[in-house]
Amino acid sequence: MSIRFDSVTVAYDGNVGSLALDALDLTVEPGEVMALLGPSGSGKTTALRAVAGFVRPVSGRVLLGGRDVTDLPPYRRGIGMVVQQYALFPHLRVDENVAFGLRARRTPRGEIRQRVAEALEMTGMAAYARRYPRELSGGQQQRVAIARALAIRPRVLLLDEPLSALDAQLRSGMLAELARLHRELPDVSMLYVTHDQVEALTLADRIAVMDKARLRACGTPRELYRAPTDAFTASFVGGANLLPVTVGPGGVSFAGAELKVETGDVVAGARATLCVRPHLVGLGAGPNQLVGVVREIQWRGATHRLYVEVDGHAVMADLRELRDPPAHGESVSLHFAAEDAVLLPAGVVGDGR
Amino acid sequence: MWAVFLVLFLPLFALPLLVVLGASFATHWPGVLPAGLTTDNYRAATRGEALQALTTSLLTAAGASLLALVVGTWAALAGAALNRRYRRLMDALFVLPVAVPSVVVGLSVLVAFSQPPMLLNGTRWIVILAHTVLVTAFAHQSASAAIARLDPACEQAAASLGARPSYVLLRVRLPLLLPSLTAAAGLCFALSMGELSATMMLYPPDWTPLPVLIYAATDRGALFTGSAVAVVLMAATLLVLFAVSRVRTRASYR
Amino acid sequence: MAGDPALQAVPTRSAPRNEGPRRWSPQLWAAPPAAALALFFLYPLALVVRQSFQPDSGGTSVRPYADVFASQAFRHALWTTVWLAVASTAGCLVLGFLLALVISFVPFPGAKGVARFIDVYLSFPSFLITLALLFIYGTTGIIGSFQFLTTPWGVLLAEVTYFTPFVMRPLLAAFSQLDTAQLEAASSLGARAPRIVRRVILPEALPALAAGGSLVLVLCLNEFGIVLFTGAKGVTTLPMLVYGKAILESDYPGACVVAVVNVLISVGLYGLYRVVSRRAGA
Repeated sequence: MSIRFDSVTVAYDGNVGSLALDALDLTVEPGEVMALLGPSGSGKTTALRAVAGFVRPVSGRVLLGGRDVTDLPPYRRGIGMVVQQYALFPHLRVDENVAFGLRARRTPRGEIRQRVAEALEMTGMAAYARRYPRELSGGQQQRVAIARALAIRPRVLLLDEPLSALDAQLRSGMLAELARLHRELPDVSMLYVTHDQVEALTLADRIAVMDKARLRACGTPRELYRAPTDAFTASFVGGANLLPVTVGPGGVSFAGAELKVETGDVVAGARATLCVRPHLVGLGAGPNQLVGVVREIQWRGATHRLYVEVDGHAVMADLRELRDPPAHGESVSLHFAAEDAVLLPAGVVGDGR
Repeated sequence: MWAVFLVLFLPLFALPLLVVLGASFATHWPGVLPAGLTTDNYRAATRGEALQALTTSLLTAAGASLLALVVGTWAALAGAALNRRYRRLMDALFVLPVAVPSVVVGLSVLVAFSQPPMLLNGTRWIVILAHTVLVTAFAHQSASAAIARLDPACEQAAASLGARPSYVLLRVRLPLLLPSLTAAAGLCFALSMGELSATMMLYPPDWTPLPVLIYAATDRGALFTGSAVAVVLMAATLLVLFAVSRVRTRASYR
Repeated sequence: MAGDPALQAVPTRSAPRNEGPRRWSPQLWAAPPAAALALFFLYPLALVVRQSFQPDSGGTSVRPYADVFASQAFRHALWTTVWLAVASTAGCLVLGFLLALVISFVPFPGAKGVARFIDVYLSFPSFLITLALLFIYGTTGIIGSFQFLTTPWGVLLAEVTYFTPFVMRPLLAAFSQLDTAQLEAASSLGARAPRIVRRVILPEALPALAAGGSLVLVLCLNEFGIVLFTGAKGVTTLPMLVYGKAILESDYPGACVVAVVNVLISVGLYGLYRVVSRRAGA
């Protein structure tokens, strides 16, 4: 079932002066996984809560499957929801937790039993049916929360930072589980709120990037990563070097160097931002060469990250582990291929660090 | 420091209770220790009017604390749904009976319910009513504090699962509040068992709670019998508190 | 899954916006308990105020006030009530602070038991203390024929004994929040115990002391059982005067006047207590 935001505006405490969500327009197609990606305070959780019915827009409409649900209370929306802190009912056993939604809907008893078993099976928690939530680990509790949301067979599933309370190892495991659940339930639309770009890139069919209560960009992970349309998206979805450049004929100039890149329809003489992913930057001489001084080297096992100062700007380069890394203060050359750079018309936001 | 503690704490707080306990087994107290050990005081304290007073106290306390729990919890639940301004008004209203002297509560109930259409004076209901008014404030305070500690995420999870507000209240909020509510009930019960001030203004002859009986005994000089009745009062209170705390541990274990 | 007849997760009936059970407004839910409180507590209080302006001779006047304020007994009771309450509060604060200090910072095995004992102690009625004191100081008791109990000092002792735990409870809570690392840091810097108490512990305890102190002050102003049980004719407090006028003398207008005065003092102080304790976060 589709989820549609029709210029949804949410204000804090009904105060129109400070907006938590500013005229959001977004559509999640049936069966699609949409990630809402953004830093904290960007409005992504507010958007999710507007779909669930826990915040009321001051204007705009929320539509589920084409039906206006803006005025429906949460319990009549039929949405599955999983939150960061699990929110399991501490006084109920695992199976009672999972059965909760079905009992609230007066589902026949036999069917409840069958659906609870099914949901627990699907999340691998069948062996824990008679436990209390406090007897489970964080990862297990989150599985129960997911089973509980799935038991009512929602056609929309909202996930609010579901993995951020888990440690790194569990997180990647759960990420794979969520991807599997999505394959097993192809009809369920998911809205996945996260501040972690890896989760968004791994799981989502499309990503909506949010910042300061507004939607910045929306597209497939590939589009956003390869061809970001603004500096914020470029730096938030994967790291990026954002270089302030002046557009010339057939290329741009940066710190006195002429770089050959696709300029598209940006007029010559305009100021723009050049986005180059750190892992696409090479060390040594080559096309589009930049010369600078090494300010910092971080060894990350498989890669080295170099921070090279070029005319006062830090340029990051992620290189396959170097046998002879350059020394601090050494002068080095960096290069990148013309097709690996994206020219953004807007100005520079930061240094991309 | 230890010495300070032993010198101050024990004599000051434990001694009074021990003295009452000791006196309840004695006939006279000539020197440092009570003398004339006997259980006659208890024989007097567990029959006749004393036994009736015990039943009266237990019934009054049970009635008042249950009523107070219902009203206080209802008010706290309703208050939690109100906006800030109304909630503060509600809190202030329900805390007021703590600040008003119980004697005055007794007097006001006496003034208000001594005339038709609400003629309660001379019946047991006026005592139960006054006790309820006095302990509702404590029930409301405990319930409010417990509601403030509830995790809103739980209620929202329940709502997102399709539970309407009444179902959330019955199946999620009240069960989660249960341990705090039983504690509040215990507190209200104990306060009602020991209530003297308002009761002195209101009690009809056929509804004499234990504290009044204890006062009557000491007033006519029967200190040792009075002590035995006081020990019965303390024991009954403790038993009920203990039972309540057992229920509470069971509830919070779930 | 889409064809599941039991699929109720998505309400498929197209519900008009205002259909179904209309959600009751929160104010409506708050109305019944508020009405009950108004009927059984506020309305009677209002009647007390009204009666305080209606002398037995009929009509409406401030006569009862004039009569009561002019009487020696009332002025004496007012003074006794206030100084007893203030002195008891001071005693409770000092004693409670000392005891809470010992319980919190001197390690000994029974600390948890003491906390539980305090809870039980607070659930007993106040007059038990006077009853015990009757044996200790009374005419038949341990110390013997000593008229101590019938003086205000006896009431003071009983009130300090009974109300000190009310000060200790918030203090113990405040002390348990106090970082022991802070104390260790202070003592490792060479501060002596009295200095640590004055400079580190006392500032932390002030909000709790203020909250507990004002609560005890109000409770002492309203205390009835302790005074009644001493049987002291010389000690008359405002609550005793209310009881005496209403029950023993059947002077309802007079009793109502005293009640109004007592309520004004207590509620005013209690309002102060709420403000203080809210600011203290207790």
